[in-house]
Amino acid sequence: MTREEVFEHVKGILVETLSVDEDKVTMEARFQEDLETDSLDLVELVMTMEEKFDIKISDAEAAQIKTVGDAVDFVIKTAGA
Amino acid sequence: MTAPGSRHYVSPHEVTAAWSAAAGDRVVRVVVDAAGGDNAPAEVVRGALQAAGPDIHIVLVGDEGTVRGLLPADAAHVSIVHAADVIGYDEEPAWAARNKTGSSIVVGLKLVHEGEADAFVSAGNTGAVVAGSLLYVRRIKGVQRPAICTIMPCMPKPIAFLDVGANAEYQPEHLRQFAVMGQAFAREVMGIPEPVVGLLSIGEEPTKGTPDVIEAHRLIAADGHIRFYGNVEGRDIMNRVVDVVVTDGFTGNVALKTIEGSARGILGALRQTIDLSAKTKLGGLLLRRDLLRLKHALDPNEFGGAILAGVSAPVIIAHGSSTARGIAQAVRMGRRAVVSELLPSISAELGAHAPTV
Repeated sequence: MTREEVFEHVKGILVETLSVDEDKVTMEARFQEDLETDSLDLVELVMTMEEKFDIKISDAEAAQIKTVGDAVDFVIKTAGA
Repeated sequence: MTAPGSRHYVSPHEVTAAWSAAAGDRVVRVVVDAAGGDNAPAEVVRGALQAAGPDIHIVLVGDEGTVRGLLPADAAHVSIVHAADVIGYDEEPAWAARNKTGSSIVVGLKLVHEGEADAFVSAGNTGAVVAGSLLYVRRIKGVQRPAICTIMPCMPKPIAFLDVGANAEYQPEHLRQFAVMGQAFAREVMGIPEPVVGLLSIGEEPTKGTPDVIEAHRLIAADGHIRFYGNVEGRDIMNRVVDVVVTDGFTGNVALKTIEGSARGILGALRQTIDLSAKTKLGGLLLRRDLLRLKHALDPNEFGGAILAGVSAPVIIAHGSSTARGIAQAVRMGRRAVVSELLPSISAELGAHAPTV
């Protein structure tokens, strides 16, 4: 998967599962500040990503994911996509 | 639209009696978190057994040895699923729900998700139940936020009140969704045929309240599927101007606890007064019976708990201090939610028409 494709998947999860405004989802968007997600949203996102990309994300790694770009890069690094 | 005019008294029992009504020969399987609550496991198990019967199969989730020790040898309509772990009251709900996969809450919710059971009841960590429900049972498609919907024992009739604590932050559209879900709950679970919804604010006029509440008013008023009364004030909650009161989780939780605390205080003062007069007058003795009825009408154990509206299976959050009676009622509420049209109607209304922004 290319970075663009992974981004589209992550965006899909954010819009579908967490009802985030589609226009707000950019690589640079910060989850807490820009997308106004709370800790539960983040856990939901992490678990949905694990399912979708068949990867494992530890709590420590999840804590480092601050932006949509971080999430995309993590998937690419871990899944070797 | 005017408020329903009838002042005929409806006791909590009249609402809950319908929860045990026959529903063909369907057996509803209800998971009960044996480890959750101040009185767990003994009272919880006792309550679950009270509700168990030919049409309710109880799945007790908790430490198998402990739970088995609490079951009488001839216990029927009950099974046990082992869960070694417990999510405590002081744990961060979302991460605990993700990581404590051996906890009674997560094991129980997974049983529901996998189709092994139909509903879930817990008196444990509310935040963890909400988080676990979102992570494992998942929300109904179209629902942005789930809401905790409780039944307030008002006079003359009980009302539905949501959200009492699932979300601290909210957007106006969430309140419109809560109105839809509360209306469905009042109709399907409480048996109110055409429930009327009020939005909690600080004045009746649509322009009263915070910008978010004013916007929520506009959204709810524009939704043709909601029988909207308009704004109601805090004092209207217990005086039942409407059947459903909608607010955000923070406000709802403060209001709920204020009402519970006030009711307890007033009952205490009443009892003292009556005790004093009972010594000298017969009237006090007669009053005691009315007081007892009032106490019964206001007892949270009568309804058992609140439902987490918006997730794809009935999840009942029982009071932390639930007695056996409270747990049994929570199980019956869960069964009612399963056999009613609650979930299909939320799904149809929130999945069908997009947000009216």
